[in-house]
Amino acid sequence: MKLLKLAWRNVLRHKRRSLITAAAVSVGLTAMITSNTLMNGMDKMTSANIIDYETGHLEIFARGYYREEGMFPLDTIIEDPRPLENAVRKIPGVRGVTPRVKFPARVSNGIDEYPIIGIGINIRTDPEVFRTKTAVIIGEYLKSIDDILIGTELAKTMNLEPGSMMTLITRDRNGTFNAYDFIVSGLIMTEHPLLDANAVIMDIEMARELTALGKGATEISVRIGDELRIEEMRKEINMATGADYETYTYKELYASIFEVSGFKRMIQLMVALVVIVISAVGIVNTMLMAIMERIPEIGTLKAMGFRNNVITRIFLYEGGIIGLFGSLIGVLFGLVFSIYMIVVGIDFSSVFDSADLNYPVKFLIRGDLDPVMLLAVFLFGILVSVLVTLWPLRYATRLQPFDALRHI
Amino acid sequence: MIETRGVYKDYQVGQVLYPALRGIDVTIKGGEFAAIAGPSGSGKTTLLNIIGCLDTMTKGDVLIDGVSIKKLSGSEKAKLRGNKIGFIFQTFNLIPVLTAYENVEMPLLILKISETEKELRITDMLNEVGLAEYVHRRPNEMSGGQQQRVAIARALVKNPAMVLADEPTANLDSSTGRGILELMKDLNQRHGTTFVFSTHDQLVMDFADRIIMLRDGKVISDENKPNRKGSTR
Repeated sequence: MKLLKLAWRNVLRHKRRSLITAAAVSVGLTAMITSNTLMNGMDKMTSANIIDYETGHLEIFARGYYREEGMFPLDTIIEDPRPLENAVRKIPGVRGVTPRVKFPARVSNGIDEYPIIGIGINIRTDPEVFRTKTAVIIGEYLKSIDDILIGTELAKTMNLEPGSMMTLITRDRNGTFNAYDFIVSGLIMTEHPLLDANAVIMDIEMARELTALGKGATEISVRIGDELRIEEMRKEINMATGADYETYTYKELYASIFEVSGFKRMIQLMVALVVIVISAVGIVNTMLMAIMERIPEIGTLKAMGFRNNVITRIFLYEGGIIGLFGSLIGVLFGLVFSIYMIVVGIDFSSVFDSADLNYPVKFLIRGDLDPVMLLAVFLFGILVSVLVTLWPLRYATRLQPFDALRHI
Repeated sequence: MIETRGVYKDYQVGQVLYPALRGIDVTIKGGEFAAIAGPSGSGKTTLLNIIGCLDTMTKGDVLIDGVSIKKLSGSEKAKLRGNKIGFIFQTFNLIPVLTAYENVEMPLLILKISETEKELRITDMLNEVGLAEYVHRRPNEMSGGQQQRVAIARALVKNPAMVLADEPTANLDSSTGRGILELMKDLNQRHGTTFVFSTHDQLVMDFADRIIMLRDGKVISDENKPNRKGSTR
């Protein structure tokens, strides 16, 4: 306790120096926490956007469809989704089940033509799984078979608004071209680039008609209550649907995005390490100065009979005190920035256009704070501060007491 | 009792080997008030540092209460210093962030004694050196003489067998220096603690019961002053 008091007084000996060092630690930790909150938030929103607008938690395909999903193989579809839907719906933990028909198409406003993905949805069951209905910002949700929803980005590109007519051209599963005139009933804004810029949403019956799928569907999307049980649910769904079908989680369907996310985290970790190294250099520098200028004092302590381990403890306490304050301030600022990012969010719309990025994340990114990370970063800050003190201390404690006493 | 046996110490300065001590044989008995005197570079501080286990010797041995320090490890030497030896330095060497009380407390932190005993010893010691009123002052709030008194209290608070003082009056004016010497002499007589000084100050030599004169690393005279109390050679 007395040694801790001595260490505390020593820290206060050069208040400004200690403060600057603690600030270096703080900046490092604040950066770590803030970037982690941002990354967590982006990951969470990415997942949420994929789940809420594109895949649900799990998707069931006819065996073989997924391998060629990019090609929209309309001959490998779920021919009769209803029994499967009913079977899956009975599994405890399943919150919603809905079939969808996805197909490639082109839309024309009479002047320009754009490639898009047509999405046929079951108006009744779709809201069980997806939030598309709540994403309508202008106009109305689908009411009749002739209605379509388009994304705000596509509307802007094609100069369309609710009430406008547009023509959709596609080829059915037999290779026959079909064209149909639709009335835009509403505009949706999900900030998921697929839906906002590249998709046309219509009633599943219309999609079936255009693609000659009969009563079939290209996929069945499933929402579950507890995401942590996703693997368990997949097994149960597989058992319920049988060998002719296969079930994928949204993470598998978007593996490339989540791999990028892992890579981002690695980069973030590396940046954090660089920041920590810079902070550590600051502490080493401060402690080196503190130790060098106090070598005669170390000599006096040695003359009094203090052993190296006791002297080391005094300096470790000093490093620890600086680290503790730096970490406290760092965590506090990190928390403040994180709360800001959670409550207000950061608007990246002026920085990039998500349609160009093809990355399912909103312009307004909200953070997501991990309390375990917060505690880990706090302890890490203190630990690093204590450990880096050992290095400059080695020189001082190795000196003979006499050499330390006469050290200038 | 301190016994040096053919102590040699060489310093390497660049390419040159500089002999600081060339075979010192001295015996200082318990309770002595002895001065190691001599001009600058005669080796007095070096001898004091070797006796106090602060520095190593090149050749020879030192026995403290019959125990050879030559074979002691760094940790054992630290223990010996902590238990038996008090130091007083020319530059006082107080810890600037600690008060007079806390400075005197420092050597007791590594000894196993109760808090009550500690308090009693520190208060008594500060009373003895006449600093009862200054317990809460830090070194920068005290005069040189007062700081040296704190250093004396710090050296004596653990009841050491000996106190080694390296030019204790060199940074003090003569009247303050005299006061410090009178205090040390008094403590030597009342506590029976051995005091060994290194000095080239005539005043210190006047107070000493025994003067061991060094020149060029050798003892050139070893003189007792039998009329003074405390001389036991």
